[in-house]
Amino acid sequence: MTDIAENGTEAVRGVAVTLNGRVIDAQPGELVINAAERAGVYIPRFCHHPRMQPVGMCRMCIVEIDTGRGPALLPSCMIPVAEGMVVETESPVTRKAQDGVLEFLLVNHPLDCPVCDKGGECPLQDQTVAFGPGESRFVEEKRHHEKPIAISDVVQLDRERCILCDRCTRFAKTVAGDPLISFVNRGNETEVNTFPDHPFASYFSGNTVQICPVGALTATPYRFKARPWDLDQVESTCTSCSVGCRVAVESSSNQLVRYLGVDVDAVNWGWLCDKGRFDFEAVNSENRLARPLARQGDDLVEVSWSDALTKAASALGGAKERHGSSSIAVVGGARLTNEEAYAWSKLARSVLGTDSVDAQMGDGLPSDVVLGLPRATIDETCAAGTVVLLGPDLKEELPILYLRLRDAVVNHGLNVIEISASQTSMTRYAAVSLRYRPGEAAVLVQELFEHAGDVDVQADLGRARALLEANNVVCVLGRPSVAERADSVVQAALRLRSRVPGMRFLSALRRANIHGALDMGLSPGMLPGRVSLEEGREVFTEAWGQLPGSVGLDTAGVLRAAAEGRIQALILVGADPLADFPDRDLARRGVAGAGFVLAVDCFATDSVRQADVVLPAVSYAEKAGTTTNIEGRVSRLHQKVTAPGTTRPDWMIACDLAERLGGDLGFETAEAIWDEIERLAPAHSGLTAQRLASSEGLEGIVAAGPSSILETTMDVTATATLPVDGYSLRLVSTRKLYDNGTLVQQSPSLAPLAPGEVVRANPADLDRLGVASNDRVRVASSRGAVVAPVEADAAVARGTVLLAFNQSGSGAADLIDVSLPVTEVRVETVGIGDREVSG
Amino acid sequence: MTAASQGLGGFQDNFLTARLDDVVSWARRNSVWPATFGLACCAIEMMASGAAHNDLARFGMEVFRASPRQADLMIVAGRVSQKMAPVLRQIYDQMMEPKWVISMGVCASSGGMFNNYAIVQGVDQIVPVDVYAPGCPPGPQTLMHSIVTLHGLIGEGEIGRRRAASGAGAGVRLETSPS
Amino acid sequence: MGYFEGFRITFKEMFKPRVTTSYPEELRPKPERAHGRHVLNRHEDGMEKCIGCELCAGVCPARCIYVRGADNPTDAPISPGERYGFVYEINYLRCIHCDLCVEACPTEAITESKLFEFSFTNRADAIYTKRELLVGDDGRPQRLPWELWSDDDEANTSAWVRATASSGRADYEGRVGWSAELGYGIRAPEVGQAGEDAVATADDRHGHGDDVGHGHGGGH
Repeated sequence: MTDIAENGTEAVRGVAVTLNGRVIDAQPGELVINAAERAGVYIPRFCHHPRMQPVGMCRMCIVEIDTGRGPALLPSCMIPVAEGMVVETESPVTRKAQDGVLEFLLVNHPLDCPVCDKGGECPLQDQTVAFGPGESRFVEEKRHHEKPIAISDVVQLDRERCILCDRCTRFAKTVAGDPLISFVNRGNETEVNTFPDHPFASYFSGNTVQICPVGALTATPYRFKARPWDLDQVESTCTSCSVGCRVAVESSSNQLVRYLGVDVDAVNWGWLCDKGRFDFEAVNSENRLARPLARQGDDLVEVSWSDALTKAASALGGAKERHGSSSIAVVGGARLTNEEAYAWSKLARSVLGTDSVDAQMGDGLPSDVVLGLPRATIDETCAAGTVVLLGPDLKEELPILYLRLRDAVVNHGLNVIEISASQTSMTRYAAVSLRYRPGEAAVLVQELFEHAGDVDVQADLGRARALLEANNVVCVLGRPSVAERADSVVQAALRLRSRVPGMRFLSALRRANIHGALDMGLSPGMLPGRVSLEEGREVFTEAWGQLPGSVGLDTAGVLRAAAEGRIQALILVGADPLADFPDRDLARRGVAGAGFVLAVDCFATDSVRQADVVLPAVSYAEKAGTTTNIEGRVSRLHQKVTAPGTTRPDWMIACDLAERLGGDLGFETAEAIWDEIERLAPAHSGLTAQRLASSEGLEGIVAAGPSSILETTMDVTATATLPVDGYSLRLVSTRKLYDNGTLVQQSPSLAPLAPGEVVRANPADLDRLGVASNDRVRVASSRGAVVAPVEADAAVARGTVLLAFNQSGSGAADLIDVSLPVTEVRVETVGIGDREVSG
Repeated sequence: MTAASQGLGGFQDNFLTARLDDVVSWARRNSVWPATFGLACCAIEMMASGAAHNDLARFGMEVFRASPRQADLMIVAGRVSQKMAPVLRQIYDQMMEPKWVISMGVCASSGGMFNNYAIVQGVDQIVPVDVYAPGCPPGPQTLMHSIVTLHGLIGEGEIGRRRAASGAGAGVRLETSPS
Repeated sequence: MGYFEGFRITFKEMFKPRVTTSYPEELRPKPERAHGRHVLNRHEDGMEKCIGCELCAGVCPARCIYVRGADNPTDAPISPGERYGFVYEINYLRCIHCDLCVEACPTEAITESKLFEFSFTNRADAIYTKRELLVGDDGRPQRLPWELWSDDDEANTSAWVRATASSGRADYEGRVGWSAELGYGIRAPEVGQAGEDAVATADDRHGHGDDVGHGHGGGH
């Protein structure tokens, strides 16, 4: 209710309230505390938080309010304004009450400010100074608890400091939906704690640290790292996933120490997931690549930039000369800023002359679908009549989008139709949850509209059909599982679109700036600004000099070609196909088969170790630029710290390479690249640097794409029901928030949180197979086999088996064959010691 | 160190058999004539050092020369502004070899509390500094301590030290990097 | 006789006592409140008083102090409490000896001796770390080889402490006095100082009055 009041959209007429003798114009339904703040009078508070329902726990905001029955001390965070109300925030009575509340709050507060991480930015400290009594009359022994107890792997709780404001518990319960912390005990002994043996294992636990008004909750990664007064801060955008949360990046002594969520209405509302909040540790990592490397025999040795670039350029130039431009391929680019992606796109197309560029690692969706479908923003999705979820588990891949949708469902009655292969975190919030057999999403959608399908799901299908009649339907579209090909999902989406007029889409691809990279043309057949190669040929040939003649290969095609020896030079721009490509066998053969591999990366990943030349790139918060989120919202990134060693920004590397190849990208600064993007890319026209830097750009500006120019040629009518093999289970492979990726693994606080490799299957299937839960099983596909413990999980649909992608262990990538529509596996028990590795 | 500062008392060897180096450095360290380079409050303390209570004449350095040609030691006393920097360097260049520099006080040594655009953050960015005297300002005792330290350095007799590859005199560390 | 008139002063001065001190053999006594190089104090049980709170670094006008706190190892605690000063560095080529750090220190961990006879031939040498700053086991500052100490430098090294109101009210008078002494006990209060009371209050505010040793013969 506060949001509505703050947005002012519902305001019909003002309410006249007398505040400290001055008549102010409040909005109907607005709380006194907010009305006063808008009028420039700050009422002290601890429990009140603009993004949560008021509870009136702390009593700090009590002020004298006269509603016509005489002045009374009332909590201003609970009282809506009323006509003729008289509010006194500075009267002696109010002052005395505030003094008293603070004195009581401090009765049990240990006042160990010098060692407390919050000291210096602590609302309790600040408000005690501003509103509290100078002296305490409390001379008795204070309450004592064990000093900090770890309530989760990243959050520490000091119960002595807690003032029981209910912010963290309220957040966990009402915002995150993980009610894992609660008040326990009564009276003087009341404390916040977890339930016995249940840690506060929420993906959003870090937010409680940020909203704690005292130092009771502190974050392990920030603990004692710095004090507030020696922090430097810039506002930037998180690139841990593609939601694009606005963050305040804070550093001390040129080292990142903390990210804080910034409250923007359009995106993250001030919340961050723990991965986004704590993965700054990866930027600080000792393992960062700091100097260029070149292969000498079996080893990569440090070389100078000049040598590395010359070597790379001569190999690229040689490949182009001897085998033609199509023998060069560029894979990756989701790590880059928009400017850098543009520079690489320009380098590949105009200097190298190849169109085989792909920022997706075979785990996304075709770029014409992502860029071509009509778009919806997050706000529009949350305000839609009905939302269809056809994609990954949002909580695992796009956590803040999950928070926003959850809020829309719980607080605003949004109807969600979930179409998935197994239960996800959104299942419990979905109005209808439809299961499809892996690889057959399109079949389910066909059944939905043709009243076909099993009898037991008819009721669900009917409800879903009814919900799709709603006015405003948005589909959140992503790749539900990398163990099935994207075709079926795309078909399902297109069929939905053809049957639901006016349907809009919100992409749910997870990689950092994948949408920016696709917008900048890092995809075969695409050019910057969401235009196809043919459409943009005229404009870009004029601007860039030359363009490749035909459409190139995507990542899977590149790897296949490389395995067959048709790729002479493979450039990996922040890409690790050995870990991220769904089909590891193909990735391995592809990287090994490429004649020359140039890697541009921040860490020595498996693929980087295979490279012939490695160029170290700067990482997050070490470069400025722009990034694009799932909505197409362009927001700015800022540099906060200096990069280690001699690392360079990716755009500079692209320019250096171009220069040595005899070309010239014509860029001196990242700003110059953005100016060219703004000039040439149709979707970004008018999105000037000035606009992005203005107050309008604070929450980012959505690049209005020409969505109608791309019409996918995919056959909407064809429906492939795949033959069912009675002995096999279909593999579903999804991502977890904490995985084996560099960002998590190079963050010491997050690395242990990766759940590791566990096979999940329906208990009925396990019974049928004669496998007990917690047994070690061998999961074998036509590609290879994986040995891992199995867990019975009713959330997994019958006939499927769930194996998270990119966890430590041999991994699902060993099982998946990207040439098959869906990966089928057989599960059997193995004895102890019978452990087998992938084939 | 303390004995070394007292004329002949500092000599370990027989005068006649002493190495020439020792004789030269003895001569040098007992007649270090400072150039006047008072820039700020430190200069007051530098003047006090020359007065009766402390009496720099005991070290043979009572003559503060106004001409750099006649000076061996530059005591940079005070914060060096960016505008003063080229002047300071010119005076230094005009001094005859061998010449030494004492950076007196924190402002001259590192910019001190004036961590801003106007002040050179350490005079060793302009001239090679032999001894740094901490303090704000350093009292005559600290200045004399640094003079005694300088005497020790001169006494070590590395005449050509300034030209050492290590850049020792300026406190500059040369490191080779691969690029 | 005009010629001798000129020598009158010279002859007169000849019979006056010499004012020159022959530094460095002979050191002049220092003023009562002289500020010199810092020391980091210990409690009587040998624990470090510094808790790594960085208040000294925060208040330092010359930004010469660099402190980093860390989690106190529970098996072998370095200071009382959960946090200790993990890194403590003072750059003496920036320090202006204003004593604000001493005033800011909530545990009286940092105080200043009167030693200022030191100089460096290298800027890196001027950065004192915890190893140089910490007092020895006897509670006395370490006499480092390049420093010229006199016994006088350790005496009367209390810091000026002015208790402020927790509310930060500017009109709060507070009580002023000397902080704990380095090795020698408490200085007698001067005019306008509340003396021992002020010191005791300063301790009690931090909740471990028993731990805070006032060197020898603290004032409570």
